[in-house]
Amino acid sequence: MPKHHRSNALFRIRFHGRGGQGVKTASRILGQAFFLAGYEVQDAPRYGAERRGATIFAYVRASHDSIYERGIIRRPDLVVVADETLVEIPAAGVLQGVTKTTVVLIHSKLTAEDWIKRYTPLEKVVILHPVKTRRQELHLDSAACAGAAACLAGVITRDHLQRAIEEEFVGQKGSLVQANLTQALDAYNQMALDSGLVIAGSGDQGTTPASPDWIDLPFEAADISAPTIHAALTSTQVTTGLWRTLRPVVDENICRRCGLCSSYCPEGVISLDDQGIPVIDYVHCKGCLVCVVECPAHAIHAHPEPVPEGEQT
Amino acid sequence: MNETHFHSIKDLSTHHLLGAGTAMCAGCGGLEALQVIYDILGEKTVFINAAGCMTLLSVYPYTPFRGSWLYTAMASAPAGAQGVRDALDILLEKQLIGTDEDLQTVVLTGDGSAYGMGLSATSAAIERGLDFLYICYDNEGYGNTGHQSSGATPHGARTATCRTVHGFSGDKKDLFAIWAAHRPAYVATVAGAEPVDLARKVEKACRLKGPRLLIALAPCPTGWGYDPQETVQVGKLAVACGLWPLKEAVQGKIVHTKPPGKRLPVETYLKTQDRFAHLFEPQRDEQTLHEIQERVDIYWREWEE
Ligand SMILES: Cc1ncc(C[n+]2csc(CCOP(=O)(O)OP(=O)(O)O)c2C)c(N)n1
Ligand code: SF4
Ligand SMILES: [Mg+2]
Repeated sequence: MPKHHRSNALFRIRFHGRGGQGVKTASRILGQAFFLAGYEVQDAPRYGAERRGATIFAYVRASHDSIYERGIIRRPDLVVVADETLVEIPAAGVLQGVTKTTVVLIHSKLTAEDWIKRYTPLEKVVILHPVKTRRQELHLDSAACAGAAACLAGVITRDHLQRAIEEEFVGQKGSLVQANLTQALDAYNQMALDSGLVIAGSGDQGTTPASPDWIDLPFEAADISAPTIHAALTSTQVTTGLWRTLRPVVDENICRRCGLCSSYCPEGVISLDDQGIPVIDYVHCKGCLVCVVECPAHAIHAHPEPVPEGEQT
Repeated sequence: MNETHFHSIKDLSTHHLLGAGTAMCAGCGGLEALQVIYDILGEKTVFINAAGCMTLLSVYPYTPFRGSWLYTAMASAPAGAQGVRDALDILLEKQLIGTDEDLQTVVLTGDGSAYGMGLSATSAAIERGLDFLYICYDNEGYGNTGHQSSGATPHGARTATCRTVHGFSGDKKDLFAIWAAHRPAYVATVAGAEPVDLARKVEKACRLKGPRLLIALAPCPTGWGYDPQETVQVGKLAVACGLWPLKEAVQGKIVHTKPPGKRLPVETYLKTQDRFAHLFEPQRDEQTLHEIQERVDIYWREWEE
């Protein structure tokens, strides 16, 4: 199957997703599959203190040689986007270092042409169609991402992929392992025509990385330099609404104005207007959907993000 | 004076004091409880927080609080609270602040701290009669570091450090009994999923002086393995199955504030979470299921007699 001759070029693969979507697992599966295919591998997830729903990255490097590079992948050969809503969020850095030669695998309902039209540097876009829409099964999408990426790399066989998944999920219940296998292998097959599309080392333009910008900080007295916060409620400057993949929307005609959603909202982002109708602060709502479940009148419904312009409340 | 303001959920504030934009997980049950608690405590509070998930509430330069917050090592929050309380008392005595500027001293820690590392500091603080409120949000594990076992991990649960066939073989420590044995002014168990009961207890605690301690069940979608939207349902089931008895002790006298009546089988609760999935698949672990049910039955039998 691999059309490639043995090369020492380094594969640099970057994953983008949200906490809870299994991107870390996807990168581990891909890394393990590379390893089984005889590669030296490095795989590392990166995320901050934020939790579920926040943007996360994972990096996989694979080469037949020792890998001396560490840390963030700035010029990837392949970018895997598990959550298409991240592309438009600058902080998610999905398009960072992407050039005409970078393969971008997007898990999306749109077509490759749509994406190429939308974002200038995109040229080699490959679409993976979402398999699951239920949030409970979102992690299966990550298995699909790993499977698709494995095929695009062109050096991993179905057998490597299958063994990597079995090893990743060792000790888990059989139905879970099977579901992940099915997703991953299906996605692998879907990519058959594009097998080997990713060229190891294509992202590396041979330039030495720029040295980091140093900022010299003058010595400050402890009362100035200590991380003391002198204002209230500064957390509201953080737009946790970007974590959301589903948006709760209140149907005012059904709402009985009981206020239960406001009391149960873990984020405290539902207040009531003068009429007693809940008003959701979408800048901060993380989309946990507790309100959807708790509303006794079933007046709150979940809509996939991004909600098209014009339909936004 | 002892009349409660909270008769139904409609009596809870729908204008929330805690700021949004925190780094806590979507659907965090601990945060849900804290919302209700903070609305009642009000702005004049100082939080003394031991390392855990809720440390992420205040990550420089962001804070969701309207007042002060102090970070301590995992074992030391009650000791930190002593320092803060003493400082406030000295300022009051020297008339450097007025009584209107006094603050309620509130310790906020996870179960890892409360049931384990911080237990001795808490014991000492109660012993000294420290005037403070302790809120333990109990997610039954070391949430912040990836859900390892803690002294609060329940029998049969799987955690990051306990992957055995039957899950955790030990028992959840009875922190309520340990704290109540110190005869503090007030101890209670609460759950964010039962906000009226929670509100009444916070209200009661606020009216008392001395050590007052609350253990809040904090369903954790990330560590327990369920969809974030189920957080309140999971909490309600813990109460309905008799696994999380809602109770309080005033000067040693224990009262169940919301006994479950006809209890649902514990399975109803266990089935909602991945950390107990091994009890049902690939085959039912009858023995562990029986052990969990039996412990609950014994608990309630003792009380109902
Ligand atoms: C003495 C000490 N040991 C270990 C840690 C690392 N640590 C930080 S948070 C945490 C988990 C705390 O668990 P818990 O108190 O239950 O709070 P949760 O994270 O569940 O909110 C640990 C072990 C620490 N900060 N201090
Ligand atoms: S890990 Fe659990 S307790 Fe910690 S923030 Fe997330 S949901 Fe809350
Ligand atoms: Mg904990």
